[in-house]
Amino acid sequence: MLVDLAGGWNPMWGRLAWSQIPYDNPILAPLFVAVVVGAILVLGLITYYGKWTYLWKEWLTTVDHKKLGVMYILIGLVMLFRGFIDGLMIRTQQAWAVGAHSSGVFGATHGYLTPFHFGQIYSAHGVIMILLAATPLLVGFMNIIVPIQIGARDMAYPYLNALGLWLTAAAGALIMISLFVGDFAHNGWFGYAPIFELQYSPGVGVDYWIWTMELVALGTTLGGINILATIIKMRAPGMTWGRLPIFVWATLSANVIALTSFPALQVALALIAADRYLGAHFFTAGLGGNLMLYTNLFWIWGHPEVYFVILPAFGMMSEIFPTFSEKPLFGYITMVLASMAIAGVSWLVWLHHFFTMGAGPYVNSAFSVATMLVGIPTGVKVFNWAFTMYRGRLTFNTAMLWAIGALFLLLIGGLTGMMLAVPAINYMVHNSVFVVAHFHTMLLVIVYAIFASVIYWFPKVFGFKLDEFWAKTMFWLFSAGTVLVFVPMYMLGFMGMTRRLDYVFNTVWHPYLLVMEFGIAVYMLSVLAFVALLYVSIRDHAKNQVGADAWGTSRSLEWLTHSPVPFYNFAVLPHISARDEVAWRRDNGIDHVQPDHYEDIHMPNNTGVAIILGGLTFVLGFALVWRIWWLCALSLLAIVALVIYRSFKGDPGYIITAAEVEKMEKEALRREAQISK
Amino acid sequence: MSHDQDDPTLHPEVQMSTSQGYFSGFAISSILMLAATFLVTSHAVPPFGLLMVISACAGMAIIAQIYFLLHIDVSEHNIWNTVALVLFIPLFLITIGLTWWMFSQLYLHTMIMPGMTH
Repeated sequence: MLVDLAGGWNPMWGRLAWSQIPYDNPILAPLFVAVVVGAILVLGLITYYGKWTYLWKEWLTTVDHKKLGVMYILIGLVMLFRGFIDGLMIRTQQAWAVGAHSSGVFGATHGYLTPFHFGQIYSAHGVIMILLAATPLLVGFMNIIVPIQIGARDMAYPYLNALGLWLTAAAGALIMISLFVGDFAHNGWFGYAPIFELQYSPGVGVDYWIWTMELVALGTTLGGINILATIIKMRAPGMTWGRLPIFVWATLSANVIALTSFPALQVALALIAADRYLGAHFFTAGLGGNLMLYTNLFWIWGHPEVYFVILPAFGMMSEIFPTFSEKPLFGYITMVLASMAIAGVSWLVWLHHFFTMGAGPYVNSAFSVATMLVGIPTGVKVFNWAFTMYRGRLTFNTAMLWAIGALFLLLIGGLTGMMLAVPAINYMVHNSVFVVAHFHTMLLVIVYAIFASVIYWFPKVFGFKLDEFWAKTMFWLFSAGTVLVFVPMYMLGFMGMTRRLDYVFNTVWHPYLLVMEFGIAVYMLSVLAFVALLYVSIRDHAKNQVGADAWGTSRSLEWLTHSPVPFYNFAVLPHISARDEVAWRRDNGIDHVQPDHYEDIHMPNNTGVAIILGGLTFVLGFALVWRIWWLCALSLLAIVALVIYRSFKGDPGYIITAAEVEKMEKEALRREAQISK
Repeated sequence: MSHDQDDPTLHPEVQMSTSQGYFSGFAISSILMLAATFLVTSHAVPPFGLLMVISACAGMAIIAQIYFLLHIDVSEHNIWNTVALVLFIPLFLITIGLTWWMFSQLYLHTMIMPGMTH
């Protein structure tokens, strides 16, 4: 062994021991029982209804970009819920452990969480919300919508697409299993040197954090390559760059960021791994290491990543406003330029995450100015959306409400961002909950855009609309929760409350913390409303079925094909004549014209290789965390062998004959005719 | 997806790859990394010189990898390589250059001079 490990190690099990299972933890042990019972129930139900073959053939081995996108979104929603529960636990601890007289249970002096446990919860909350909730949700939408919007049959690399999904799933599984085997990092989601070094964090928590983030980074980089290749190479005839739907432009700029920035994260994490596994000294204070170099490397990725998640959200809003304003998007070209400008500036601002490092006035001023520059293209976007709605025929359905909510949050988050870009202010509120409130406002812009998209694109994917009453209920509950949690948080930030307190010493802050606790309870109600929304919508799906153009005022190409979208997307690849193709066809009265004959369609075959590789990667991650070297070697060997096997085998794909296409199209048209009656 | 199933081995970027090229790229970067590791562990050169020498090794390794492993050039038939370079070189200069600047300023203000204290 190159490093000294606390708590022993043996060749067979590595660091794994029974004492690592937290069966005496009063929170985790009952949860573990609930998870096991739930898992047995789900697996039992699948077996009882004989759905294993269906699940394997239609979902687990699929390379269909729409199904992969749906699975991405499911992973994202599950992780969003997990991250929300972490948030709920943080808020409860801070509402409870206030002042020296507050009570304590479960081994904590104050509140119900020990400082070590609390540290793990806020670290997991951050990692999960950014990398395993927001990212998969957005990647899911890109996966589903981009190929249909550009008139392609699938992604450029369907197998790579499946691999990206299963790597993300492996990362999610790794962070979930850290609940029940060992512990998680307590160094915050972005990590601090030197607390994540082995001598200060001797457990496996930091290792879980490293390998979870590495797997997501790998999956997202592969996904980025795939989406870029798809947009550049797979556009339908006539789809020039000037006719590209705006969501595709947003996706393009976001994935340029992903491709160029994620490697920086992978390198930073690999260097921590070198410190912890090989005894290197990249980020220690001694032997020539540099603590701040880690922070620097992390934010070289971290800031572009912020724009990687916000740009697709802007793209979603740019699709929703025109549809429900019955007007084309105002300032298409400036919107595209603004996306590209944000992507470009994203590389020049990372130091604003550590203004207080002490790099001095020249460096801080330069990065301050660069940060404020981001406000220009973002302002262009906001005005474009406002002018899109100006004198439009507005329909306030729930998708539009979420999008308008996102616009308001963007204003608050953007203005507080401008404040934080001033180093003098930044020094005052650095690491206070004001910063926390700012970036939560920005991430809520993304959440609002995502829920707007769920409402907006759900009928395209599943063929029926979501229930308006429950969707509106959920929106208003969620918005009430947002106000109740984050307005007091801004106020507490100005009152000097620092982030990540497991014990709040100042009792003056207690009323604000109680309001926030009430707000998180309202959020909980909105989660229940979301469950009710899904239940009611699926129950009444026969009532809410829709045709190709679900909203009647849609503009871009995805609304040309049937809802739900057939697995080959378009029976005949459309020829694009205008920027808003569907609106153009509707205006010219040719939106219902059907092709006079069909041709054979060439589609990729399903493959089980991707999910097996995902499983092996999970095993590799787990073995690395627990330093079970034989298992690392074995799983790595299996991964390499499987990749080589697959690349020699290749995939010739299969052909759907013209006759079969015609039959399926007739069926879909018959269904549509029934709905319109 | 179109019907024309052209042979992927005929693509120019595949044609450019030879096992000799891959092996020389691997060998050159391995030798450079081993040399840098040896110099650091043996303290053969004074600290500032060490910084310069391993930076030079890293630079050469990057060029060897770009040329032998990634086959990136500015030729007409591989236009996407040029696009990749146009994207990569400014980002490379920005990250390395700005990091250098901010840390030199940091050391100036905190009076830490790594490599100068020996």
